Amino acid sequence: MTKKYETETPGYTMTTVMEEAARCLLCHDAPCSAACPAHTDPAKFIRSVRFRNVKGAAETIRENNALGAICARVCPTEKYCELACSRSGIDVPIDIGGIQRYVTDFEQADDMHILHAGDSNGMHIAIIGSGPAGLQAATTLLEKGYSVDIYEKNAKAGGYLTYGIPEYRLPSNIVDYEIKRITDMGANIHFNTIIGKDMTMDQLKAENDAVIVAIGASEAKMLPMFENNDAVETAVSFLARTKQAKGNIDLPDNALVIGGGDVAMDVVTTLKKLGVEHVTDAVYEQFDEFRASKKELAGAEREGVTIIDGYVPDSVNGHTVTLKHRHINSEMTIEADTIILAIGQETNAKNLGIKLEHGEAPSAGYKTHDPKVFITGDIAQGDKTVVYAVQKGKEVAGEIDSILGGNRDDQ
Amino acid sequence: MINKDISIDFLGVHFENPFCLSSSPVDNCYEMCAKAFDEGWGGIVFKTIGPEDFEVDEVSPRFDELTKEATPFVAFKNMEQIAEHPLKQNLADLKKLKENYPDKVVIASIMGPTEKDWEELARLVTEAGADMIEMNLSCPQMTSHAMGSDVGSNPPLVKKYCEAVKRGSDLPMMAKMTPNITDMVPAAKAALAGGADGIATINTVKSIANVDLEKKTALPIVNGKSSVSGLSGKAVKPIALRFIQQLRVASGLEQLPISGIGGIETWEDAVEFILMGSTTLQVTTAVMQYGYRIVEDMKNGLMHYMEEQGVEHLSELVGLANKNIVPAEDLDRDYKMYPEIDWDKCIGCGRCFISCYDGAHQAISWDEKTRRPSIDTSKCVGCHLCALVCPVHAIHPGKIVMKEGRKGDPSKIDVVSQRLY
Repeated sequence: MTKKYETETPGYTMTTVMEEAARCLLCHDAPCSAACPAHTDPAKFIRSVRFRNVKGAAETIRENNALGAICARVCPTEKYCELACSRSGIDVPIDIGGIQRYVTDFEQADDMHILHAGDSNGMHIAIIGSGPAGLQAATTLLEKGYSVDIYEKNAKAGGYLTYGIPEYRLPSNIVDYEIKRITDMGANIHFNTIIGKDMTMDQLKAENDAVIVAIGASEAKMLPMFENNDAVETAVSFLARTKQAKGNIDLPDNALVIGGGDVAMDVVTTLKKLGVEHVTDAVYEQFDEFRASKKELAGAEREGVTIIDGYVPDSVNGHTVTLKHRHINSEMTIEADTIILAIGQETNAKNLGIKLEHGEAPSAGYKTHDPKVFITGDIAQGDKTVVYAVQKGKEVAGEIDSILGGNRDDQ
Repeated sequence: MINKDISIDFLGVHFENPFCLSSSPVDNCYEMCAKAFDEGWGGIVFKTIGPEDFEVDEVSPRFDELTKEATPFVAFKNMEQIAEHPLKQNLADLKKLKENYPDKVVIASIMGPTEKDWEELARLVTEAGADMIEMNLSCPQMTSHAMGSDVGSNPPLVKKYCEAVKRGSDLPMMAKMTPNITDMVPAAKAALAGGADGIATINTVKSIANVDLEKKTALPIVNGKSSVSGLSGKAVKPIALRFIQQLRVASGLEQLPISGIGGIETWEDAVEFILMGSTTLQVTTAVMQYGYRIVEDMKNGLMHYMEEQGVEHLSELVGLANKNIVPAEDLDRDYKMYPEIDWDKCIGCGRCFISCYDGAHQAISWDEKTRRPSIDTSKCVGCHLCALVCPVHAIHPGKIVMKEGRKGDPSKIDVVSQRLY
C-alpha cells in the first residue's frame, strides 16, 4: 500500500497545461498576483506559459519564491490566488498551483540554475531553523552577498516540509531538490545542532553580524486526559516517522484521529492510503466552520475517512474515547487501536532569549529587543502557511540588509 | 532573469531588439508608441501617414475574428485604413518620439496616390527625424484604388514610387509587400530596382472571415453591408513564412533584408521568422488581443533560445532555415516511417482510428473490447495524420524502412521534431 502513499497525482503535460493556461483571462492588474502572500506573480508566469515561454515562467516563480516547487504543491491556493481569480466569474478558478507545478517540474527536469549568490559583502548571518522561512531568508541573503549558516536541530533540513507533509502531497525528492538549490548557492547547514544546548546564542551573536530565529511550531500539543496513554500518538510524531519510513510502518486496523486542520487531514488521508480500514476523525468544528482547506478535506473524504464534526473528547479509558457534541445532546464512544492527536503545535524557544506569547512575538515585525537578533516564520506574527513563511523570510532578509547595508555604506 | 544581447542591425540602423510594432492601429499616436517603448519594444512603424488632403473616414464597427472551437482570434479581420490624425500632428509625434526615445527605432510608414505625394511625405518624415521609412504598398482596404495593395501588385508602379521616395529622402527604406499576389518576387525586385533597401512582408490577406446567416452579408456588418478586407493573426503565419522563404531563395535575393510580419505572437513564432530570413519582426494582431506586454515573453524566450543554441549574436540565426526548404521534387522519397503508439499515454479515445479510416489509408484497426488501436504496417503509408490528431500525443515517429528497391540507411534519416508537447 505504500505506493499510494508515495505517489503524487499526475502533473500536466505541455498540451494540458496550455489548455489550463488558455482558460486564464490574462487580466489587467491581475487579482491573483495581488493575492499571493509571497508575490510569486501567477499572472506573469501563467502569461509566460500561455506564450510558450516556460523558462521565463520558471524565472518568475523562482526569483520570487525560493520554494516555488513546494508552494506549487502545498499552498492553500483556494484561500489566496485562486480565491481572487476572475475566471470564477465564468466557472471555476484557474488551477494556478497545478500550472506552477508544471513549470517548476520543467525547471528541475531542465536543470535550470536561476538564482545565484551575489558578490560577497563580507558579512555573516546565522539562521536558526531550516524550515521554509529560514530557507527563503537564506536565499535572499545569499543573493545579496551575505554568507549564511543555518543551524538545524534535526538530521535533515526542511522542518515541517521534510518531517510533516506526507509524501503523496509533497515528495521528499522535491523538498531535497529545493534545499539543494539553496546549499548550492552557498548556504551552510549544520545538522543535529540545537542552539542553547550544542552552541549558545551568545556564540552565534559573536560570530555573526545578525542572527535570525526561524524556528517553527514543531512540538505537538497534548490534552491532559491523553497523557501517558500507550494508545496515543501525536500527529507530529506519526507523520514524521511515516515519512521517514516511506510509509513502511506497522498499521492499526482501526484509528481515531482528533483534530480538523490540514495536519489532521494529512494524518487521516495517510492512514487510508496506507490501507487502514477504519479511520475516524473527530473534529471540534462543524463542517461549516472547518479549518482544513477544502482540497485536503475533499482528499480525506475521497479516501473514505469517517468524519464526525462538532465532537470533542470528553473522557478516555485506554483505547476507548467518549466524545460529546459541542451543541446538541449527543455522545458516542469509539474504541480504536490507535488514537492520534492533531490538535495543534507549539514552539519551543527555550534558551534562545526570545520572548513569545502564545508562540508568537508580542509585537509585529521581525526585530527583537536585541538589535542583533531577528525573528521570522511561525514565531513572527501572521499566517502560518508555507507561502507566508516564504514572504516572512524575504522580509526579514530585506530588513537585515537595510540595517547592515546601511552600516556598510557608512564604513 | 536571463539577460542577453538581442540587438541587431537592419538597413544600417541599430535595433536594441528585433521586436517592432507594425504600422497599424497599435501605434496610432505618441502616447501609444511611448507606452510600447516603455514596455520593451525595440521599434515602431508608426501608423501609415498619408497626404494632407486624403481624408480618412472609417466605418463602425470595423473588426471581425475567425474562431475555431474555443480559440478566439485564430485570425483577425480589419477594415481600418491609415492614420486618421492630421499630417502635422503625426509628424510632431514622430519628432517627439525620437527626441524622448533616442535609442529606440522610429520608422515612418507612408503612402500616397502620386509620385509627388510619396516624395513629399518622404521628405517630411525625414525632417521629423524618423530613422527609416516603410512604404505601405499593400493595405487591402483603402477607399482609394490609387493607394494600397492595388499598387503593390503592380511592379512598374512599385518601382516608380520607390524612386520618388528615394528622391525625397536618403533614409534607409523598406517596401511593404502585399501577399495578395501569386509571386512576390517581381514586386520585390521592382522595389529594389526603384531604390528600396529592404522588404517588409506580409501585409494582410484579403478576406471574408464570416458571413452573417440572417443578414446575408459578411462581418462586420456596416449598416447592412460589408467589404473584403485584410486578415491577420496566427492563421496567416504560414502564408507569411512561405512568401519570405520564396523571396530569400529567389535568384539574386539570397541576402535580401526582410522585416518579417504575419501572426507573430510568441518567441517561437519570432524565431521561425528569423530562421526564415527576417532580421526584424513586426507585430500587430497579438498586441490588439493581449497588449504591448507580450513583448516581455518574446524577448525573454528569444534570449533563452539563443543561450540553448550557443548563439552570441542574433544575426547568426537569420535565414538558417532557408537552405533546408527545398522544392518538393528534391525531397527524400526513398523511405517511409511508421507511427508508434506509446501505450502508457494512450487513453483509448479512437480519434486516430477515425482519422486514419476517413482521412488516410484505413491502416488502424480498433479493438472494441479493449478500446485500443493497432497499426497495420501493410496498409500504413507513414503519413502520420494519426499523430497529429492524437489528443495526448501518444503517437510518435516509429520504425523507418526503405521503400522496396530503394537504397539508404534508415538509422540516418532525421524526422524528429523537438517541439514540446
